[in-house]
Amino acid sequence: MTSLAEESLLLKKTVILAIFSAVAVVLSLVESMIPLGSFMVPGAKLGLANIMILTCLYFLNGRDTFLLVMLKTLLSAMILGTFSMFLFSLFGAMLSFVVMYGLMKISGKRLSLIGISVAGGIAHNIGQLAAAGIVIDSLNIFYYLPVLMIAGVATGIVVGIAVRYLTNALGHMKMFAAFKPDLY
Amino acid sequence: MKGKPLKKGDVILIGIVLIAALAFIVPRYFFDKDSEKNHIENRVVQIEIDGKPYKTLPLTLEEQTYTVKTDKGFNEIRIHDGGVEMIDADCPDRLCLGFGFVTRPGQQIVCLPHRVAVFIEDHSGQEDEVDDVVG
Repeated sequence: MTSLAEESLLLKKTVILAIFSAVAVVLSLVESMIPLGSFMVPGAKLGLANIMILTCLYFLNGRDTFLLVMLKTLLSAMILGTFSMFLFSLFGAMLSFVVMYGLMKISGKRLSLIGISVAGGIAHNIGQLAAAGIVIDSLNIFYYLPVLMIAGVATGIVVGIAVRYLTNALGHMKMFAAFKPDLY
Repeated sequence: MKGKPLKKGDVILIGIVLIAALAFIVPRYFFDKDSEKNHIENRVVQIEIDGKPYKTLPLTLEEQTYTVKTDKGFNEIRIHDGGVEMIDADCPDRLCLGFGFVTRPGQQIVCLPHRVAVFIEDHSGQEDEVDDVVG
């Protein structure tokens, strides 16, 4: 038997996840319209959807965030691309999620949201390169890793700052009051 | 907002990443200075599909174009001035066109939807060995 309070918490969680996935998909769509690859490295992305994933990790737990990552990847792949592109982004998104979740658990308060976002961005790039390497059956593609790492630091900092502002603003909302973490 | 935006841990993390990345990038430019365009004769453009060798073309100063045609679609590459670039393709993401003009061994152009990889290979090391045997 679930109490009324638990039920209301579950409902809030569901609503938050739905809103976050919707925003993450929109951010992915916006991002696909910005041709970052043409003046940097192909495959380099701003990782705007990571804003929502990191914010979700901040307020909710790992299981909910896993669900968000799956939803966001599946939905944006359905709108934007093909099945093979879905596999690439899933590979990157999963690695990024695992690294960010792990760092949040083990780093205590030594890393801020910016550091975690940087690590997540780089993990995302490594995951995508690994998926690409498997597909074309060659590790040569890792030639681009150092440049992607630097790009990951830059975009990770931007995303981290955005998350900082977003979590701060959302934390003042009544709906998120129940989820306010003591960490960070 | 509580706390400083950047913690010590962040600075260390970002520092390590940047140093690691630069450690890989900087030597590439140094080695490239030694072997400018005079080593072009030892370099070839290798095209692979699905990880298997498909075609090898000489790396030339003169312009030459080659079109890779598979059941997935086409990729048109142009070799000139000791480098290679992808100039046209009918893949959905067209990311391969963003790789630009590639001149260094190890660099490559990848078209994931078509599983096509184009890269420059340096055979100078192997040919030195052959010379040793002959001499």
